[in-house]
Amino acid sequence: MKAVKEIIWSVVKNNISLEAENWLEDFIQSSDQSAQLAKVFVMLPRKTGKLQVAVNNDQQKALDTVDFGYIRNWTIDRLSRVCLLAGLDLDDKEVLFASINRLFLSAEVNEAVALYSALPFLAHPEIWVKRCAEGIRSNIGSVLEAIMENNPYPAANLDEAAWNQLVLKAFFTEKNIKNIVGLDERANLQLALTLVDYAKERWAAGREVNPQLWRLVAKFINAGIFEDLKTGLQHYDQTEQRAIALAVKESDYQPAKDYINTFPELKLALADGSLNWNSF
Amino acid sequence: MCCSSSIARDKATMGEPEAFDISAVKGMKFFDPHVHMTSRTTDDYQAMADAGVVALIEPAFWLGQPRTGLDSFRDYYSSLIGWERFRSSQFGIKHYCTIGLNSREANNENLAEQVMEILPLFIYKEGVVGIGEIGFDDQTAAEEKYYRLQLELAKEAGLPVQVHTPHRDKKKGTQRSMDIALEHGLDPYQVIIDHNNEETVKEVLDRGFWAAFTIYPFTKMGNERMVEIVKQYGAERIMVNSAADWGISDPLAVPKTAALMKMRGLSDQDIELVTYRNAITAFAQSGQIDEADFNAQADLTAKFEGNTILRGGQQPRPDKSSIIIS
Repeated sequence: MKAVKEIIWSVVKNNISLEAENWLEDFIQSSDQSAQLAKVFVMLPRKTGKLQVAVNNDQQKALDTVDFGYIRNWTIDRLSRVCLLAGLDLDDKEVLFASINRLFLSAEVNEAVALYSALPFLAHPEIWVKRCAEGIRSNIGSVLEAIMENNPYPAANLDEAAWNQLVLKAFFTEKNIKNIVGLDERANLQLALTLVDYAKERWAAGREVNPQLWRLVAKFINAGIFEDLKTGLQHYDQTEQRAIALAVKESDYQPAKDYINTFPELKLALADGSLNWNSF
Repeated sequence: MCCSSSIARDKATMGEPEAFDISAVKGMKFFDPHVHMTSRTTDDYQAMADAGVVALIEPAFWLGQPRTGLDSFRDYYSSLIGWERFRSSQFGIKHYCTIGLNSREANNENLAEQVMEILPLFIYKEGVVGIGEIGFDDQTAAEEKYYRLQLELAKEAGLPVQVHTPHRDKKKGTQRSMDIALEHGLDPYQVIIDHNNEETVKEVLDRGFWAAFTIYPFTKMGNERMVEIVKQYGAERIMVNSAADWGISDPLAVPKTAALMKMRGLSDQDIELVTYRNAITAFAQSGQIDEADFNAQADLTAKFEGNTILRGGQQPRPDKSSIIIS
C-alpha cells in the first residue's frame, strides 16, 4: 500500500498549484494533525480546485499494476482528500477513529465520497466495517458508487450479511455491477437465493432483470433454483435467456444443462464458447 | 423510500401519459395511511385536499440520511404531532401519525437505545395511531432487536403496528416480519404489513394481517398492477397508500388509483374499502380516529405557537396561473 500512496501523491502534486502543495505539506509536517484535520479536509477543494485529474502514462501504468487505474476518473479534490487521509500520521487507533469519524458525521456529499474512497488506505481496516455497512444504507448515488464500485475495501472486510446487502443494493440502484471488486470471489448461496427471489419479483412486476444477476447464481444452481430459471427461460427477453444459459453452463447441475440444450438458439450461443459475462 | 432508478428507461416503457381526470372520483373521500408530509410542499397539501383526501397518516421514518443525535429524533417526533399536524389542518386534512424507530437507524445501536427511552413519551399522544414504521431494511440483528422491542411496546400500549417491509429480499423479509409479530403474541388484525407486491400479498392475507400497497413510481407498485391485485384478491384487509416522500413520488397516488379502479370497472364499494375505509378500520383500533373530525373546515386564521402558514396578508389560495405573485 505504501507504493500506491506514493504514486497517488505524485499524481496529486502534478495536479495542484505550488501553493496548494505547500499547504498540504504544512499539514503533513504538522505535529498536531488530529486537531487540524477537520479544517484542512473540509476546505481542501478551495486550495486544489475540482478538475478531473490528469495522469501521465508512467503513472497510469503504475496505477494499473496495483489495480488503482480507475482513479484517473476522479476529481483532484477527491484524490487529494484520499491522499490526505491515507497519509495521516496518527498511530493511536482511537485517535485515528475519532478524527475520521468526526468527518463522516458532518460530511456533505463530496466529502462522503472521498471518505468512503479512502477506506482501503486507512490503517486498522477492522474499525471501519460498521461505517462501511452504514454507507451502504445511503440513498445518495455517488456515495453508493464510491463504496460499491472499484473499491477493494468491502470485499476484503465486510461480513457476509453486509456484503450481500452491498451487492443487492447495487442491483436495486442500478450501479455498474462489473465494477464491484471481489464480486465472483464472494458469491454465496444466501445471496444467490435472495437474487433469484428478486428476479421473480421483477418478473411479477413486468420488469426486466439485469443479466449480471445470473453470474452470482451460477455456482449455486440446484433443483429449486432450476425451477425458477425455467420461468425466466420461457417468458423473458433474449439477453436474459442468454445470461441464464451462461449461468447454467458454469454450474454443476446437469438437469439444467440438459434443459438448456433443448433450446437450439441458446445451445448455439454457448457452443463457440465466446459468450462471457462481459458480453452483457 | 426512494431508490435512484433509471427514470429514462422506465419512461420509455410507459408510453404516452394519460391525464388524471379527477371527475371520475369527484365527491369521493380518501384516506392516505402512509405519506411523509414533512418532505412535501403546501402545493401538495392543496392538491390532495382538492382531490378528496380528507385524512392521512404520517409514519415516522428517517430523514434521507442518518441522524447523529437524540435531539434530532425528539424534534422530529414533536414536529409530527405539532407543526406538521397544524400545517395539514390549514388545508382541511386531518393529520395522524405513527411513531417509531425506523429500521435503518436501528443499526446505530448506541443512538437506538436512547431513542427507545423517549418513545413512550410520544406514543400515547393524541392522534398517534400506531407504532411505525418499523421492521426490516437490511435484516440485521440490530434491526431485529429493535423491531421486537417496539412490538412489545405496541402490545403494551394496545396500538396497531405499521410494518415497513424491506425493498431488498422482500419476500423473506416480509415472512420474517410476520413470524416475529406472531411470536410476540400480536393479533395480526392489529398489524399492517406495508409495501406489498404480487409476491407477498397472498401469504399476508392468508395469515390474517392487513396488506398495504404503496403506489410509488418506478420502485414499488404501479396502480395498474394494483387494480389487478384487487380483482384477484378482493378488497378485504387491503389498503393503498402513496408513501410520498422526498423521492419521485405522488401524493395523489390514492385518488388516482381510485380513479383508475373506477375506469377499470371495480365496484364503488371495493374502491371505498381500499382507498378509505380499511385504513380507518385498521388504525382506529388505536382509539384515536374519529371520522367526525375529518370534515372540519380549514381554519386559516389559526396559529401554531404564534406561527401561521399565511404570511402577512397572503390569500389562502393564490392564483397559480398568474405570473404576478403578490
